[in-house]
Amino acid sequence: MKSSQSTESAGFTRMAAAGIKLHPSCRARQERFGLLFYDCRGPRLLFAATGTLIPADFFGTIRRRDEFPAGVSESQKMALNKFVTQLLEKGFLHEQ
Amino acid sequence: MSNKYVEMGMRSPVNLTWEVTLACNLRCSHCLSSSGEKACNELTTAEALDLVEQLHTAGVFQVNFGGGEPFIRPDFEEILAACHSHGIMTCISTNGTLFTPELVARLSRNRLVAIQVSMDGAKRETCDAIRGAGVFDAAIAAVKLLAATKIPTSINTVLTAQNADEIPAMHEMASSLGVSLRVSRFRPSGRGADNWESLRPSPAQLLAFSDWLSSSGDVRTGDSFFSLTSQERQGLGLNLCGAAKLTCCVSPTGHMYPCAFLQTDRFEAGDLRQNSFQEIWDGSEIYESFRNLRIHSCEECQRFDQCHGGCPAVAWHLKNDINGGDPECLERCVTSIADNRLAEAA
Repeated sequence: MKSSQSTESAGFTRMAAAGIKLHPSCRARQERFGLLFYDCRGPRLLFAATGTLIPADFFGTIRRRDEFPAGVSESQKMALNKFVTQLLEKGFLHEQ
Repeated sequence: MSNKYVEMGMRSPVNLTWEVTLACNLRCSHCLSSSGEKACNELTTAEALDLVEQLHTAGVFQVNFGGGEPFIRPDFEEILAACHSHGIMTCISTNGTLFTPELVARLSRNRLVAIQVSMDGAKRETCDAIRGAGVFDAAIAAVKLLAATKIPTSINTVLTAQNADEIPAMHEMASSLGVSLRVSRFRPSGRGADNWESLRPSPAQLLAFSDWLSSSGDVRTGDSFFSLTSQERQGLGLNLCGAAKLTCCVSPTGHMYPCAFLQTDRFEAGDLRQNSFQEIWDGSEIYESFRNLRIHSCEECQRFDQCHGGCPAVAWHLKNDINGGDPECLERCVTSIADNRLAEAA
């Protein structure tokens, strides 16, 4: 795991996130189309047509922002990067 | 909400309602399952724990416990603990009358539980007329105990003719207590069928509620009002019935149904004493019929994409026709009010 480091921004100090992880209020599982995310706070669902690209338990442990499963191509990494951003924005993933 | 993926079929429900007992210390006049005495042959502790294992294996995210009053079951906390040990989220619907500081302290040790305390009015007399004398005060006491913890807590009220005007006040009451408000739809099943005519909200009350809901984004409805959902709340929940597609119901005796409001022989999908949870979910003809259900009579409606025909359970109970479309959808409420005005004018 990447260690936390202090960064200076806009006049105040914050700790940089060590990585990203599934939010404690969220779950994910494999479906035929890809991953199904569930957020019990809504409840909300998110259907992700990821096929078998990402295992359902991938975000169960802390991952670096640029970390992807082995065997993923560069173009797939770009798509996954946008997908991870979306998951963060929607609160299914959170920074640790 | 992506219907395309839902229609592909889920490997298991996202969440389910598990009525763990029919026993209840109250006799609410709108009770969907006519709770009171414990049912004969309810699942044993061993059978209940085995079901939890099956739900875990199936990948179910959340179990919504109801009844009856779940806390009457002596082993209920054991069942809860089994769910939590597998990371299954739980939500308990309770009347709140059995809560003690000790019980709340035990529940608050786990972060996977949420609690809904049932109340049916902002006024004591409104609530107690439906739920019984003294219940309003007991429920408020339970909410106060829960609000002092980190347990996500909501007041759950069933919209009826009697309390429709008090919903905004209930919203304020919930906020002042530090909890959220959840409003559920009254459906004509159980004792709710016996008291349907006296408790059912009028079309005008349903329309007024729909308007109020559209400006009250923090109020949850558990998707029970998707047939009334205004444009403003689109995206907050389902736009179709999730029964047998995303959710299902397990009865106290281990029988499975599409939803809690269709617990009749006609809609029994299977018996967990005969088949596994996964076998029933995958193989039940009843579930298959719900997955293929298309309310063709509603397809020309301008709101079809927003509700897809509404609640089949209400259609069944009121019209004896699962394909008939929701008799109390937003469009029909508007039409009903307009017809009445025309009749009055004539």
